Amino acid sequence: MRDVEAKMERLFARQLALASRPDGHLDIAALARMVRSSYEEAERDRLRTDRAMDLMAAELEGANAELERLLRNLSIQNLRFEAALANMPHGLAMLDAEERIVVVNARLGELLGLPDGVIVPDAKLEDLVAAASARGFCPGQGAQEATRDMRRSLLSGGAAEIERMAGGRTLLLSSRRMEGSGCVLLVQDITERRAQQARIAHLAQHDALTGLPNRAHFLARIDQALARAQRGEGFALFCLDLDRFKQVNDTLGHPIGDLLLKEVTARLRTTLRDTDMVARLGGDEFAIIQDLARQPPDTAALAQRIVEVVSAPYLINGHRIVVGTSIGIALAPADGAAADTLLKAADLALYRAKADGRGIWRFFEPAMDARMQERRSLEIALRDALEQESFTLLYQPLLEVGSLRVSGFEALLRWRQPDGTLTLPASFIPLAEETGLIVQIGEWVLRQACRTALSWPEQMSVAVNVSAVQFRHARFVEQVREALSGSGLAPYRLELEVTETIMLQDSAVVIAQLNRLRALGVRIAMDDFGTGYSSLSYLRSFPFDTIKIDRSFVRDLDARGDARAIVSAIVGLGESLGMRTTAEGVETEAELAGLRRVGCSDAQGFLFSHPIPPEDVPGFLATSAKTFPAAAAE
Amino acid sequence: MQVATLSWSPEDGLAMAAGASQADLVLYFGARGVLAEGRCHRVLRAAFPGAVVVGCSTGGQSLGLEVEEDGVVGAALRFAATRVRLATEDSIARDGSHACGRRLGAMLAAPDLGAVLLLSDGLHVNGSALAAGITEGLGPNVPVSGGLAGDGSAFAATFVGAGDDAPAERRVAAIGLYGSSLRFGHGSAGGWRRFGPERRITRAEGSVLHELDGAPALDLYERYLGEEAQGLPGSALLFPLRIWNPARPDHELVRTVLGVDHATRSMTFAGDMPVGWRAQLMRGGVDGLVSGAAEAARAAARGCGGGAGDGLALMVSCIGRRLLMGQRTAEEIEAVAAQLPPGQPILGFYSYGELSPHASGGQCELHNQTMTITLLREAA
Repeated sequence: MRDVEAKMERLFARQLALASRPDGHLDIAALARMVRSSYEEAERDRLRTDRAMDLMAAELEGANAELERLLRNLSIQNLRFEAALANMPHGLAMLDAEERIVVVNARLGELLGLPDGVIVPDAKLEDLVAAASARGFCPGQGAQEATRDMRRSLLSGGAAEIERMAGGRTLLLSSRRMEGSGCVLLVQDITERRAQQARIAHLAQHDALTGLPNRAHFLARIDQALARAQRGEGFALFCLDLDRFKQVNDTLGHPIGDLLLKEVTARLRTTLRDTDMVARLGGDEFAIIQDLARQPPDTAALAQRIVEVVSAPYLINGHRIVVGTSIGIALAPADGAAADTLLKAADLALYRAKADGRGIWRFFEPAMDARMQERRSLEIALRDALEQESFTLLYQPLLEVGSLRVSGFEALLRWRQPDGTLTLPASFIPLAEETGLIVQIGEWVLRQACRTALSWPEQMSVAVNVSAVQFRHARFVEQVREALSGSGLAPYRLELEVTETIMLQDSAVVIAQLNRLRALGVRIAMDDFGTGYSSLSYLRSFPFDTIKIDRSFVRDLDARGDARAIVSAIVGLGESLGMRTTAEGVETEAELAGLRRVGCSDAQGFLFSHPIPPEDVPGFLATSAKTFPAAAAE
Repeated sequence: MQVATLSWSPEDGLAMAAGASQADLVLYFGARGVLAEGRCHRVLRAAFPGAVVVGCSTGGQSLGLEVEEDGVVGAALRFAATRVRLATEDSIARDGSHACGRRLGAMLAAPDLGAVLLLSDGLHVNGSALAAGITEGLGPNVPVSGGLAGDGSAFAATFVGAGDDAPAERRVAAIGLYGSSLRFGHGSAGGWRRFGPERRITRAEGSVLHELDGAPALDLYERYLGEEAQGLPGSALLFPLRIWNPARPDHELVRTVLGVDHATRSMTFAGDMPVGWRAQLMRGGVDGLVSGAAEAARAAARGCGGGAGDGLALMVSCIGRRLLMGQRTAEEIEAVAAQLPPGQPILGFYSYGELSPHASGGQCELHNQTMTITLLREAA
């Protein structure tokens, strides 16, 4: 108070001094102004202070209310946060900068196998790891080492993930640095996920039916084996498939086929050594890597054993099943330095084995590859020929033996080469049949022959050869119908020549097909009769219009009595069954005379004409009318 | 160093000690109305032909212990060894303050530059940008002190006269003092007490403050000022705003209001109002402000040390302090004088902003609501 008094005294003294005139008189009015002003200043300051205090109190009250509201919200938020923590599938711990656990959920303890109460507030990371380590966390590591490991892998960077084992489970630990300091540690049990991934990886590499490695896996294993082969540890690659497997599927159904494949797998497994490997490449195709590194095993002996083991009869669901196997073998590294080359080599050898008679095995030889290349280029050339219409038809006349009138022509396929020469069908039809191209080629032949025949005299027919493959094709009857309708040729003028081979197949199906063709109104001839099985039952099972007698009998007609007897028998058979008989390859007058003697109805051959291009047909017809009647009269 | 004090009024003309006309530097401060017509500056130029003459308008000026509002007071300084150089910039704009400061700094910079006195227009400048600019131009080791010119409580126009140029608005004058014998002490302190909640600057552009805690700043001031809000922007000085960067809570600054915009509910301050910084109202009592003034003088005296001949204490105090203290303003000058050697001449003015190195050390900054003391002396 004394201080205040002193100040007020000094103020008043200053006011007095300011109000004093130089002559010593006091200006009372000025002094009064100053004093009043001082009061006013003090009053204003008091009012200002009061007002400020009131406002501040109000503001603080408001702030306090806001703070309480925030606290309530925070506590609700906290409850939610705790609920979230308690119910999350992950274990969670938040660590501060000193690695103290500031937040933790119960799930963390569960995942680490810790009983309640082990993780206490303010526990440190090393305490946690030590407790978990004692219960199987990071087996093989001591607690200290595990802590160091966690620090190094999880706590040193901004975010990290590591996988560690804990009591047989796989845990994924991830950490993320928190803003400010410290980090969040998440632990999840990924045992199932890892197992699932392993299952998926296994599925991706194995065949579901047999459990064997699949093609992709097998190719990878060949690559590995090839890498070893670089160091001199060679191996043999077997490719095998089951003979007649398709028939098993077709007749007994796929479930039985599947069981058969499993049984074959089991037999193959028992036949192989541990160091060998068998895989299923697809369908009934299997492949084997035979390790040649350790004791030099006999590859041929293994092949023989496999053939025997696989060929032994199976008893599946009461069915006795017999299948065989053919095997192609390639040797690495001699036969190829890459997986696909080797596999191709073994495939070629397999192809050869099957061609050579099934139930056998063949080693790859470079010539197989050359032949394959040749086939490839021929196939390409055939496709080109179809596209560029390089095929052509020649026509060879058929004459009635008695009158020597031309009754029709046989259409004969030729392939015109760029140099103008004509290639005979024997060199390309087998491949065309194998590749299925025969269907398109055959269709072209049908259309072409029908169109050409339309320009001939009405009583003349055209004969077209039909391949067995073409005959089996689902659209074959349709093709014939279209060729007829497309050209306008009367069906009876078309004769389809089929060989005995078609009769070897499922006869009911073949007969049905023949009947459908017959229903179109076309005629059907049995070609090359006498050369194959020549089963008389074929002739009984279907009423062919014509039997064509193979040229080999005609050739010997003169010289050998047995040939004469056979031709005579066939002709007799034809007569009695109501079928015409046509002799092929007639070249001499003597042969013609022989045929006439046995009563053969028709003949064709060089004696009458070579096959001629269609534009020469009218000319041939004109001259033949003059030439042959003389012979007929003989 | 010799110091002769002087005074001038339109009626009585120039009064000063005989023989002072040999001065190297003349500093003067006076009422805006008196300075604006330029006569005083011409008279002083004529009276001190060899001196750099610099002065500015004020919110009250003092020579000795009394504050006066009508005349002009000044001091003529004659140095023994220190050299004086003047640099000025005209047409300063708020946006160009930093560049202006940098140019002035570059003009004066020299290896033997000992200190810079800075007087600036008080209304069209961003004082903190000016301080930062001149520091950039000079380098960090040259102390800068001074202040922003005032205009009573009118906040209408402020004037700076310098060298050949009679007082004008939008001028900044920087006086470089060169030589190794110069002793320069400075101190700056407020003495205001913080009060009320801490607030956050939520919207501002440069030195224009729009919102505190999401509410218009002007609303807050009007509420606290009550009837005194009619006296805005001057009355806002009764509640200075203390601001600080939350990342550097020890480095606080006090800001003075220069203007208000009722339409946008914004307030313009003498320096930057960075968004995100904290703010808190302050209020003063005479006793606190007086202690602040004493603290500033103590710091300046400590920094200057002894010397030969006269010294000058340049006092720049905030207009806001005077508004609050009224007739008791003289008490803060008495407190300053009590910290200085007896008979030490004290020349000063009430400003719209004080410039001096920050008390926590470092570079020149704009202060508000402070008492800033600069002591000039030459070594023996």
